[in-house]
Amino acid sequence: MTQPSPHAPPPTAPLIELTGLEKTYEAGGTLIYALRATDLIVRHGAFLTVMGPSGSGKSTLLNLFGLLMRPTAGTYLLEGRAVSGLNDDATSAVRCKMIGMVFQSFNLLSHLTILENVCVPMQYAGLPRAAMRQRGKALLDRFGLDGRYGSRPTQLSGGQCQRVAIARALANDPPVILADEPTGNLDEQTGLEVMGIFQELHRSGKTIIMVTHNPAYRKYATQAVSIHDGRACET
Amino acid sequence: MNLLEMSVTVYASLTRHLVRSLLATLGIVLGIAAVVAMLAIGEGGRQEALRQIESQGIDNIILRSVKPAEGNAQQTTRSYTQRYGITQRDVEHIESVFENVRLIVPVMEVRREIYLGQTSTDIKAVATTPAFLEVSRCRLVDSRSRFLVPTDGKILDPVCVVGTKAARRLFGHRDPLGQAVVIGNVSFRVVGLVENPGGGRIGGQFELNNLVCMPLETATSLWGGITIQMRRGMAEKVDYDFLYLAAKNIDAIPGTAGRLRTYLRGAHAQVDYEVQVPYELLQSARRTQRIFTVVMTSIAAISLLVGGIGIMNIMLANIFERTREIGVRRALGARKRDILWQFLAESVLLTSIGGGLGAGLGIATAAAAEMISRLGGEAGLKAVVTSESLIVALAVSVITGISFGTHPAWKAAQLDPLTALRHE
Ligand SMILES: Nc1ncnc2c1ncn2[C@@H]1O[C@H](COP(=O)(O)OP(=O)(O)O)[C@@H](O)[C@H]1O
Ligand SMILES: [Mg+2]
Repeated sequence: MTQPSPHAPPPTAPLIELTGLEKTYEAGGTLIYALRATDLIVRHGAFLTVMGPSGSGKSTLLNLFGLLMRPTAGTYLLEGRAVSGLNDDATSAVRCKMIGMVFQSFNLLSHLTILENVCVPMQYAGLPRAAMRQRGKALLDRFGLDGRYGSRPTQLSGGQCQRVAIARALANDPPVILADEPTGNLDEQTGLEVMGIFQELHRSGKTIIMVTHNPAYRKYATQAVSIHDGRACET
Repeated sequence: MNLLEMSVTVYASLTRHLVRSLLATLGIVLGIAAVVAMLAIGEGGRQEALRQIESQGIDNIILRSVKPAEGNAQQTTRSYTQRYGITQRDVEHIESVFENVRLIVPVMEVRREIYLGQTSTDIKAVATTPAFLEVSRCRLVDSRSRFLVPTDGKILDPVCVVGTKAARRLFGHRDPLGQAVVIGNVSFRVVGLVENPGGGRIGGQFELNNLVCMPLETATSLWGGITIQMRRGMAEKVDYDFLYLAAKNIDAIPGTAGRLRTYLRGAHAQVDYEVQVPYELLQSARRTQRIFTVVMTSIAAISLLVGGIGIMNIMLANIFERTREIGVRRALGARKRDILWQFLAESVLLTSIGGGLGAGLGIATAAAAEMISRLGGEAGLKAVVTSESLIVALAVSVITGISFGTHPAWKAAQLDPLTALRHE
């Protein structure tokens, strides 16, 4: 099943198990299969890339992972717990503590400083202010943004913004990081730098699930899924 | 999210569109300003009315003789003496029948001018009894002063007591005690200086602080039992110009006043008297106050409604513009209620800022109204800002924020996270 890469840890317990997971949309009376019944296991410590042409269902799969949408059929186990049927509050709590999200367009809040941006998930986790700011600063330091705590996202380059977003995704130390084309808005060089960060996160034990267009990034992965027309298969 | 974090978040969002946010609160500012200013002016008016009523003595009923319209009497003979007003018979009747009246204090106008050098003054001379001090709500200005005492009348002593305003007029900075006041060719020695703190008037006529009081018996012995005024060959006869009736029981005053009016209607052929009841004035002042409050509340409610709709609009616009932010926050773990509280707190903060500015504007408006009304004369509006009114203003602005912020905040919370995230 998995193609163990030289750096990959030995197979571990499943983090994510999808069984017959399916997402359909109804549009004008016809059923659109954004994602056809998919079975997939992602183990702790995996680096999974999701590739496929535009409109094939990559984001749909990632949003299902991130509990931003509910599947129309099938089950989704996260650390053995069925999470697709949880109520809104419980779903929010899972998003808050178990999942870190990185977006193509960064999605930083422009009226907040980058430190405040990194602190947002910790606010929702109920961390005290001092602890929150301390951890936020440590995360920014880790990604080379020390001394820029008070900067606004608009004052930073794209690469720096994406590093802030990665720091924010790590705020509550979730086991899995979901990234939807995180290098899509960056030039090649900066993209490589960001991929370096993901590689480093992977080495430090995080599970990474990344949607990407770039076949060159396949080499970072320990596991790969390609999607065509809503049909996902491991490669 | 704790309160501190929430206020930081809310502050950051509001300062982003500071000018727009402040403009949005304009309706609230004006509404609250109206509330505060009107409460202040209402309270000032209430205190002023109370002060005036109390300066007349809330336990008094005051009868005043009123000259009826001329010509209705048989005014044919040349030397006709017109009799009118409260009579000795009335006094005797009241004394014997009205149980609630514990004290009757007569006041006669001594119809003679008081001169300062060669010019006549507006200072009035009255003749009365020692109990006048109590019923008129005057007080002695210093320990050397005394009011009229029964002996003054018995020995027909030409002594008098002057009001503070009259004393200043007559004697300037000199000590009035021991000075002489000449009234109708008779010199009266000043034995006391009195003041009515409320600046009240006898039966609404003569300013108490601008009076010279002499013993009733002295005046009677000098000028006869009835004060007579000659005018165009006519004389007038009045037994009593004013009669203070002090009540034993204040709560029974409306009944007493009613029976008194009934009696006077029967006893007098024409309405040559007036019954003044400060207690009733107080009641009617309270009624006026209630009407004022209702009107004020309606105006404030309308401005606050308009202001609240303004807030709701700006919040809906805010939320539309910040749909993506809401999506991001939800994706990062915010629950519906976190979003709800955030936007509710924003609208409450907006209306509270509006309320604060409005309270300031209201205080300024009230003060300005007071100043402008005093430009003309001495007596004008009075504005009193109470801490209660400020608490009311703050509470009202918070309640407005909650009432008109709930719908937008609820809408924000209901947004689908993914749809919100994809917005723009
Ligand atoms: N809200 C929606 N309503 C209808 N169809 C949708 C909706 N969202 C996505 N789709 C469809 O689902 C398919 C997969 O979309 P998506 O997962 O965004 O593709 P990708 O990320 O691979 O480009 C597309 O055909 C898209 O048109
Ligand atoms: Mg996509």
